[in-house]
Amino acid sequence: MKYIATFYSHFGAMRFKKEPPQGVHNVVLMPVPRDLSTSCGTSAVFEADCGFTFSNDPQGEIDQIVKVLGCGYEVVYDSNFLR
Amino acid sequence: MNSVSEKRVLVIAGLIIGAIAGFLVLAGNPANMGFCIACFIRDTVGGLGLHRAGVVQYIRPEIIGLILGAYVLSMIRGKHESKGGSAPITRFILGFFVMIGCLMFLGCPTRMILRIGGGDWNALFGLGGFAAGVGVGTFFLKKGYALQRSYVISKLESSLMPIGQIALLILLVAAPAFIFFSQKGPGSMHAPWLLSLVAGLVVGGLAQFSRMCTVGGFRDLFLFKQSPLLLGYIAILIGVFAVNISFGNFHPGFEGQPIAHTDGLWNFLGMGLAGFGSVLLGGCPLRQLIMTGEGSSDAAVAVLGLAAGAAFAHNFGLAASGTGPTANGQIAVAIGFVVAFIIAIVNTKRASA
Repeated sequence: MKYIATFYSHFGAMRFKKEPPQGVHNVVLMPVPRDLSTSCGTSAVFEADCGFTFSNDPQGEIDQIVKVLGCGYEVVYDSNFLR
Repeated sequence: MNSVSEKRVLVIAGLIIGAIAGFLVLAGNPANMGFCIACFIRDTVGGLGLHRAGVVQYIRPEIIGLILGAYVLSMIRGKHESKGGSAPITRFILGFFVMIGCLMFLGCPTRMILRIGGGDWNALFGLGGFAAGVGVGTFFLKKGYALQRSYVISKLESSLMPIGQIALLILLVAAPAFIFFSQKGPGSMHAPWLLSLVAGLVVGGLAQFSRMCTVGGFRDLFLFKQSPLLLGYIAILIGVFAVNISFGNFHPGFEGQPIAHTDGLWNFLGMGLAGFGSVLLGGCPLRQLIMTGEGSSDAAVAVLGLAAGAAFAHNFGLAASGTGPTANGQIAVAIGFVVAFIIAIVNTKRASA
């Protein structure tokens, strides 16, 4: 299953690629898709099981993670909802 | 939205923005200056009397429209995100020196491409410097440069800058005695205010919708070897070129170009500083305006830094003119590079720790 993570900084994306969370594979950095965020920053596309969950971001660098569906996205993790 | 339609949106938006810039010149704006974020912020600052360069004083409705256009469309599209709190003083300082670089070149990255579209080959030195500056900034991104993250703020906080634009519009239209209007020079040349405002609103909306960013185009090319954003930049060039060539406003050459100088080195260095600083800020001056409309108080602080830089540039003789750069301006650009490198190095180390 394909997922996309967005970050607060390019550094966060680089760290995600270098030290991916458990269950995350084949991380590729790319520009943030326009319909996912209005930012012009960096995102990480990766593969994980369809039941992939994420809740622990000790560095506080991940903005959100979405599952890529055929007709859009499903939010898996949103840092703003944790505040 | 898939990548093909994303590219299509960027190309269409770029073509329209370029064409609007060309038509604004026909309607009265200075040549090759249908849009110039740096120049127009500088003019607005002058209109408010924060600098006293009499030839560049006019509250530019385009700036008001850009912020309000992005604000309204982001609200309609549910893309308005009230965020802020990321290294405000650092962003202010970077905005300040980005403006110093722009006023050395005599234009922001947007005007740079409009100048090329009008045949001003001096701007090619600026383009080279801009790409080099973005390249240096991208080097630090790859090494781990990052400012602190932003946080959710109140809707009121993120709406203050857009509300402030309405106040500026009232001042422009009411024209009280304490507001300055240039009687000669670039500040006296402008399209009718309502036309400029509508143009700003349209371009602000297009830039918000397409996520247009001149710096992002080169940065993504260097980072990912792919860059849809760069297509938008090229489309602006094609759009303004088409209008210029159609209406006799294409005058190729180096000498005698409007509001430009022929010092290639300082054109290169000015845009180099603007590109470097903009990468560290996360977007070009146009993008900072659009993000301000989208609710980023971080971008709003950068815009205030741009405004302060413009006031200093004209109060202390830092801005170049058609005759070339000033010694003060050359020193200021050198200081700007030193400051930008210090900010880049310090924040790279922090991120790596």
